[in-house]
Amino acid sequence: MDSVSSEGLSLITNVGLNHYLVLSTALFCLGLIGVLLRRNAIVMLMSIELMLNAVNISFIAFGKYNNNIDGQIMVFFVMTIAAAEAAVGLALAVSIFKRFKEVNIRFFEHLRG
Amino acid sequence: MTADAFLFWFLAITTIAGGITVVSVANPIYAALSLAFTMVSVAAVFVTLEAYFVAGVQLIVYAGAVMVLFVMVLMLFDLKHELEAFARGKVSGAIKLLTAGLLGGLLIGAIAYSPEGSKIAVGANQVAVAGDPTKNLGYRLFTQHIFAFEALGVLLLVIAVGAVALSRSKGGTHGQR
Amino acid sequence: MGNDIFEITVNSVKLIVVFLLMVQAVPILVWLERRGSAFIQNRFGPNRVGPLGLLQLLADAVKFITKEDFAPDKAIRKLFYAAPVFALIPATLAYAAIPMSLPFIVPAFEMFGSSWGPYKFLVQGYEIGVGIVFILGVSSLAAYTILMAGWGSGSKFSLLGALRASAQVISYELALGLSIVGVILLYGTFSLSDMILAQQGPLQFVAFGYTVTSAVSWIPNWGIFYQPVGFVLFFAAAFAESNRLPFDLAEGEAELVAGFHTEYGGFKMLMFFIGEYGHMMIASGLATTFFFGGYGIPGITPAELQQVILSWGFSEAAAGGLNSLIHFLSYNVKFAIFLWIFIQVRWTLPRFRYDQLMDLGWKTMLPWALANTVVTAIAIYVVTL
Repeated sequence: MDSVSSEGLSLITNVGLNHYLVLSTALFCLGLIGVLLRRNAIVMLMSIELMLNAVNISFIAFGKYNNNIDGQIMVFFVMTIAAAEAAVGLALAVSIFKRFKEVNIRFFEHLRG
Repeated sequence: MTADAFLFWFLAITTIAGGITVVSVANPIYAALSLAFTMVSVAAVFVTLEAYFVAGVQLIVYAGAVMVLFVMVLMLFDLKHELEAFARGKVSGAIKLLTAGLLGGLLIGAIAYSPEGSKIAVGANQVAVAGDPTKNLGYRLFTQHIFAFEALGVLLLVIAVGAVALSRSKGGTHGQR
Repeated sequence: MGNDIFEITVNSVKLIVVFLLMVQAVPILVWLERRGSAFIQNRFGPNRVGPLGLLQLLADAVKFITKEDFAPDKAIRKLFYAAPVFALIPATLAYAAIPMSLPFIVPAFEMFGSSWGPYKFLVQGYEIGVGIVFILGVSSLAAYTILMAGWGSGSKFSLLGALRASAQVISYELALGLSIVGVILLYGTFSLSDMILAQQGPLQFVAFGYTVTSAVSWIPNWGIFYQPVGFVLFFAAAFAESNRLPFDLAEGEAELVAGFHTEYGGFKMLMFFIGEYGHMMIASGLATTFFFGGYGIPGITPAELQQVILSWGFSEAAAGGLNSLIHFLSYNVKFAIFLWIFIQVRWTLPRFRYDQLMDLGWKTMLPWALANTVVTAIAIYVVTL
């Protein structure tokens, strides 16, 4: 009992690489749930941004704990590409809204042929 | 509990809470605002990981520009008649949740059982680079990764032109129904 | 925060004092604005309440606090009430990072039976290594205040004003950030304290191996002599960031009633104004730090001033304190001059039209800022070859 509780306590007080990776995983799964379950196209884009942020956390965590600056450089690139993709996604969403007055993807399932 | 550990747990809770709010509220504007809050929290996580410049860039680019764009577009749309915010069908919804949970479980299991990760102690590997870490970052970015950096610039140019071209379609966002 | 209880206590109290400093400067600024605008427009300002009308703001504050607290019928209450509170946060966070004086050194002393070692207290809220990136990041969060206020009010005028204002804010953030890159290249550091330290002493720089010193010894080594274009761009973009005339499309009274804060009255509107004046103060503080030597005094370095004070017969600690105080006064003088320029420009220039404003931001200031960066980089490279 004693060793289990002290091990549990060290899990809480000694914050290491694993903690950041678990945080990143949790955030990634939340983003994944958002993409799967939400029907608003813009909220799906936001969930994708959430997933990219989770990946950024894991890059920086690895960069710090392996003493390597390449983690931060990768995050630079990921951030830029995510911002660019968000811009294009929103431009597309605005075009769709202008045409159909809807951004709910449920609506577009009925457009056939 | 040291200050580092307390800070990590506090930021982890705020980040996860923000993430849950993003995917669970029905009103998309609240989702966008809570995503902005999550971005700020992630920037704070970067600060605890000693990546100060990247934290500042996260604040400027993500929380200060990208999310403002999201919120502005959502306010322009003015979606009063949300058909359905969430996917219909309880069974398929449950399967999706289960899949995401399975992926999360697999990843956490891989993290917990990988030998490398569990042996790195806190503070054993300080980022011991010569001089200012930000200077080092800039130096590496402009010497080793110069091609990718320039390619990124070209990508941004293409994106800007593309976004302008996409938004030239006729018709306004209101008053034509 | 500090190693022992004394240091932590003093630093916490200092944070609160800096916050209060920012908030309490607002009534003084509003008084200055009302009397100053009256002076420019050849009329009297408020001059009945208290000497020179100084208590007018106190009366106004009491009036605001006792007003009815209402929200419009179609407003979204959560956002409507959250927006004024959120207006204070970016301004306060950014203002606390600007150094206001020399660090204040407390030598070792005895109290309650144990000796407390020598301390070095910075005269600012907190010191950030990547100071300028943090300040830019945090002040870019100001766009959310505008959007929350506009959307939460539930009226079309507010929403239009909010969208226009936030588009303006994010456009001029670019020009603001790029105009500072020249200064960062020049001093080679992000930290504001290091930039101030690099601007001490007379004007001198190293060119082609020779050290060029100015003949007139009281011209200081300020950033304005190296980056004049950067200063003009920074100051103009700062006007747009804090929604002041000539860029105050958001609150254009003739067009949009009052823009995004139409539906606000009473204390909530006061909080918006505290936020706006807070951004003005940040812009003035940053202009002082980058281009005018921060808390430095032209013609005398802090070390020389310390020697002068010591020769007047003060003890070591008291001399340090007096040195910090004199430098704080010097910072405040420059700060006040910039705030006066903000007020003067507001009551002199007419307002920009929205398309003129966006043209100016994207087609004029951005290319000039980029050109400034390129020319500065080339100059630094060539001169230090």
